[in-house]
Amino acid sequence: MGMKELVEDLRARRRKALEMGGAEALAKQHAEGKLSVRERLDLLFDGGSFTEIGVLATHANISPIMRGRETPADGVVTGFGKINGRLASVIAYDFTVMAGSMGRTGEVKCNRARELALSKRIPMIWLIDSAGARIQEAIGSTFAQSGFLFREESIMSGVVPMVVAMMGPGAAGTAYIPALADFVPMVKGTSHMALGGPPLVKAVVGEDITPEELGGSKIHCEISGVADLEVADDKACIQVIKDYLSYFPQSNLERPPLVASEDPEDRMDEELLTLVPDSPRRAYDMKKVIHHIVDGGRFFELKPGWAKNLIVGLARMGGQSVGILANQPMVLGGALDINSADKAARFIMLCDAFNIPLLFLQDVPGFLVGSKVEKEGIIRHGAKMLYAVSEATVPKVTVVVRKAYGAGYFVMCGKAYEPDLIVAWPTAEISVMGPEGGTNIIFRKEIAAAPSPDEERARRVEEFRKLINPYVAAGGAFIDDIIDPRETRPVVIRALEMAQTKKIERPWKKHGVMPV
Amino acid sequence: MPEEVKAHITGVVFQVLAKPGDTVGAGDAILVLESMKMEIPVEAPRAGTVSAIKAKEGETVQEGDTVALLE
Repeated sequence: MGMKELVEDLRARRRKALEMGGAEALAKQHAEGKLSVRERLDLLFDGGSFTEIGVLATHANISPIMRGRETPADGVVTGFGKINGRLASVIAYDFTVMAGSMGRTGEVKCNRARELALSKRIPMIWLIDSAGARIQEAIGSTFAQSGFLFREESIMSGVVPMVVAMMGPGAAGTAYIPALADFVPMVKGTSHMALGGPPLVKAVVGEDITPEELGGSKIHCEISGVADLEVADDKACIQVIKDYLSYFPQSNLERPPLVASEDPEDRMDEELLTLVPDSPRRAYDMKKVIHHIVDGGRFFELKPGWAKNLIVGLARMGGQSVGILANQPMVLGGALDINSADKAARFIMLCDAFNIPLLFLQDVPGFLVGSKVEKEGIIRHGAKMLYAVSEATVPKVTVVVRKAYGAGYFVMCGKAYEPDLIVAWPTAEISVMGPEGGTNIIFRKEIAAAPSPDEERARRVEEFRKLINPYVAAGGAFIDDIIDPRETRPVVIRALEMAQTKKIERPWKKHGVMPV
Repeated sequence: MPEEVKAHITGVVFQVLAKPGDTVGAGDAILVLESMKMEIPVEAPRAGTVSAIKAKEGETVQEGDTVALLE
């Protein structure tokens, strides 16, 4: 063949690969409400910026069962492209080719894409739509050579941002990929993940269950906490990946990008005077406080449906990315439990890994107490938060909006946890415990001995209450200032600017022993 | 089959807001618990008619206790 024919042959091979699993399989993919893998990548990357790696790959032909089969791109599209002008590496499984199963050749491609992300320090994105391991190629003890992807993903953690979008099934192998990633959106209705899918569950433990009930987006976004965000469809899913990454640097060696905002840095907000009720025992929606202080009111909340007593998410203030942790008095009164401690610790580690400053908005009556939470291990779960906030060396700013009780004050970056600025609203109550509980313990004998114990208790409670007034803390310079709530935005922005050059040295260690 | 409305935190019943026969919407407070220095509402999980209130003001309820029935 001459060059012209050779090129024609090459083009034909490429065309064939781009047809994916064929018209019928693609029609089925669309009928399920899913986009094809290549449509997804068109949405993800800036026009014309995607370079594919391994388009001509096909299955390894190592099993008699596979003989004669065609597996375009071996069921997974890999490569690199630009998202809003910044590079990212991608691994996108193609369900139309053998149910997106992980073949021997496909995994060679994935290995290459991961290595590309790590060595070039760019984000790694997975789009999962896969039945898991390709049993036809993996059955038997050749399994002994597999599993390296999870080790590699663990090593990459905290070096480059990792996003795993669940856009179809993810069973067994493809369920541990999201577990090790930073951000996991799930498409409602079409995605599910489980260590063992329904057929395996039926065979091994005899349980009859649908994929949706076993590991649908509702399960993982509201009950298990494995996923971060439920999205309506593939298009929305791709959009949240882009939004999420916009807050992040390309790797842990960089700072997050600045994004200019038209929202003035010195904006005072009158609404902030009206959000906290007069009664200190009444709930209010902390999300409103967040919306009134961040750039343009935009807040990218993570895990909004799980452990709702603590809000975490990303925003910008003065153009700078900031990770916000805020107690939510609307749920459990804002008290912390095991799941909210998990959620908080993980989020703090995420932001600290990628040089994103942290803002803590405190209104916490404490950690839940009682036999139930002790049995759940509230001590070790609460300790995760202590550990994460202590370890974090990024700029930290704390605003005590209202309650700051007991260990709740510590884990939400109280004075001892190195906030670069800690201020309180005049509504703040800072104390080891509330006036009622404290009075009952400290003055138990005096109350019992009084002619009228109830009156004595009420009098003592009132005296105790005076001591939790924030001016006592400000008077001793234990907190930096008490601010007019309207000033919150400018005060936080100035603190973040001041803390940009923060440098804290920690003693060398291989790593700590985190209370997990 | 009436739906059981359960307390999601251990606490003292501070205020009973609904009575049997009342119609409530999803998210309406049926009663208010006092716990962790806060007033914490127990809300109707869906719209319906309250058929029974199973707790009295001043009474301690445990997490998971049924405090009302919703038809």
